[in-house]
Amino acid sequence: MKYRIKAALACTVAVFGTAAAAETMTVGITQNNVGVDSYQTTYEQAFIAAAEANSDVEVVVLDAGGDVARQIAQMEDLIQQEVDAIIIWPTNGEAVIPAVRKAFQASIPVVVTNSNIAQAGFEFVSSFSGPDNITQGSRSAEIMCERFTALGTQNEARVVQISGQPGYTTAIERAKGFEDRLPEVCPNVTLVETQPGDWNREKSQQVMEAFLVKYDDIDGVYAGDDNMGVGALNAANAAGRTDGITFVGATNFAVGYEAMARGEYWGSIYQSPVDDAEAALKTAMDLLAGEELPFLNYFDTPKITQDNMGNYTKPVF
Amino acid sequence: MVEMSKEKIGRIIARQGIIIAFAMFIIGFTLANGKFLSIENVLSVMRSSAILGVMALGVTFVVVSGNLDLSVGSMMSFSTIVVLDLHDKVGPALAIPLMFAMTIALGALIGLLVGYLKLNSLIVTLGMLSAIHGLTLTYSGGKNMDIADKEGTWFNIFGQGTAMGIPVPIVIFLLVATFLGLLLAKTPFGRKVYAVGGNGTAATFSGIPRARNVFYCYVISAACVAIAGLIQASRSMGSQNTVGQGLELEVLAAVILGGASLLGGSGTIFKTLIGVLILGFIQNGLLLVGLQFYVQFVVTWVIIIFAVWLDIAAKRGKFWSTIA
Repeated sequence: MKYRIKAALACTVAVFGTAAAAETMTVGITQNNVGVDSYQTTYEQAFIAAAEANSDVEVVVLDAGGDVARQIAQMEDLIQQEVDAIIIWPTNGEAVIPAVRKAFQASIPVVVTNSNIAQAGFEFVSSFSGPDNITQGSRSAEIMCERFTALGTQNEARVVQISGQPGYTTAIERAKGFEDRLPEVCPNVTLVETQPGDWNREKSQQVMEAFLVKYDDIDGVYAGDDNMGVGALNAANAAGRTDGITFVGATNFAVGYEAMARGEYWGSIYQSPVDDAEAALKTAMDLLAGEELPFLNYFDTPKITQDNMGNYTKPVF
Repeated sequence: MVEMSKEKIGRIIARQGIIIAFAMFIIGFTLANGKFLSIENVLSVMRSSAILGVMALGVTFVVVSGNLDLSVGSMMSFSTIVVLDLHDKVGPALAIPLMFAMTIALGALIGLLVGYLKLNSLIVTLGMLSAIHGLTLTYSGGKNMDIADKEGTWFNIFGQGTAMGIPVPIVIFLLVATFLGLLLAKTPFGRKVYAVGGNGTAATFSGIPRARNVFYCYVISAACVAIAGLIQASRSMGSQNTVGQGLELEVLAAVILGGASLLGGSGTIFKTLIGVLILGFIQNGLLLVGLQFYVQFVVTWVIIIFAVWLDIAAKRGKFWSTIA
């Protein structure tokens, strides 16, 4: 927080960049909404730490507080300051395109981090750095199928899905990855119903309660993130039906990790905000060093299950 | 004689339009899915409605007094986060009263601004909605709050416990509803709230100070929010900062659905209870029917409008009217 105020002050007086030594690059970042969840909070801390560890870069760290208008203004500020590159975590995939175009016209390379902007803006973006949510969805399907195969239920298992907020790219992509991959690896498993949990643990718990009433036989639950997955697990625990249900999520949260350690929750996708932040900064630095990068730079988000969780530290969020 | 009783029935129906609408939904959903009325499902709907419900009971006081409260959603996030955090720091026995004190202090602040300074309640509570959200984020540093040792605490009884087979949240909800229902309908204070909401100036001149009674209403509302936060925290033993986000509108919808006037002076706790149950059962019913969720948003709206229309139609005795 203190750092951000300093950075904001510094940006108004435009100390960074011009005054810096010739080889030092200035990278500005405008984030989506720091503080709204632990992932984004950890991301910011990791980004600042990565920048401090690298003497070749100065960073201007800004946060839009979830407000599109503020993010556009911040983009314009960064263009005015003539930073060498801009990293943006879009508050809205459509609305920020004009601001991204402005940076493009000012010949400032733009890296989009975490969640991509809409396709119409791709021509103005140098590179995207973030998780591949479609792959995450298909990996979750594989985790689920492997577990069913181990349990010998791969020919009859019935699965329900609790997806993220309707309309969100991450929610759509994860659901698509899961729904496309599951019939490929486990053709006899049925996905009986999908309902949104809105990234909200309480909402997910209510959805799962209704599923438990509606279906006498549920073998697997796929949740768009562990926060919702734990909500579903709570519902199953309250109904005394946890045994025999394979819970698989995504974005491994601390609560999901703990539930895995207790043996109640089977698996998830390990997505570290630290990797996310470091990948974004590295992408920007590689671009400035003149490297040819693919448009989509995904950082790896591996599978984590009860079997291999020892290889991963507990998430901080 | 026959005519008399017909009139009487008419009057009874007129007063209970919303209950008739409620009964119609129940029958409709039961026909669509036989499990809808199973004890298991009814208890689960009532348990998840309890959080929204307790908040709606408090907001009924505010609405009857002629004001609005849009801050209850973010205030609920606040109390949930605070009680979870304090649970691990000072233990549950101290955390709960501390959380109640902090939440009620926020309600008292709103009561001061709306009651004594006579500021517009929409502006004050809309501002408080984001101010309290910011306060919550500052308090938690944006991190999810989780109770570290979920097994070694009795804190889970409020959200997960049962009393004689009935989930504790339902028991709390019904106890609070009974208490507040009596308070609003049967005590001098309750009648003052109606008087203040009906005409604040006239009430003040009649020796019923608007300011003080409005202040009490916001304190009651905040106390209800604290209870809701306690149930929420205990139910999931952990929470994100945005747990109550958007609930203020659902709460208001339940209160209005119950027939309270946004202009103040009318509304009862019992009808708010029905409003809460209608919302809860619609959500659950649509899930059980298995409607695609994009359609659910629209259907929810249609059902609410239908219920409100039935209520109004019953009150004026016909389905269509060109005058108010």
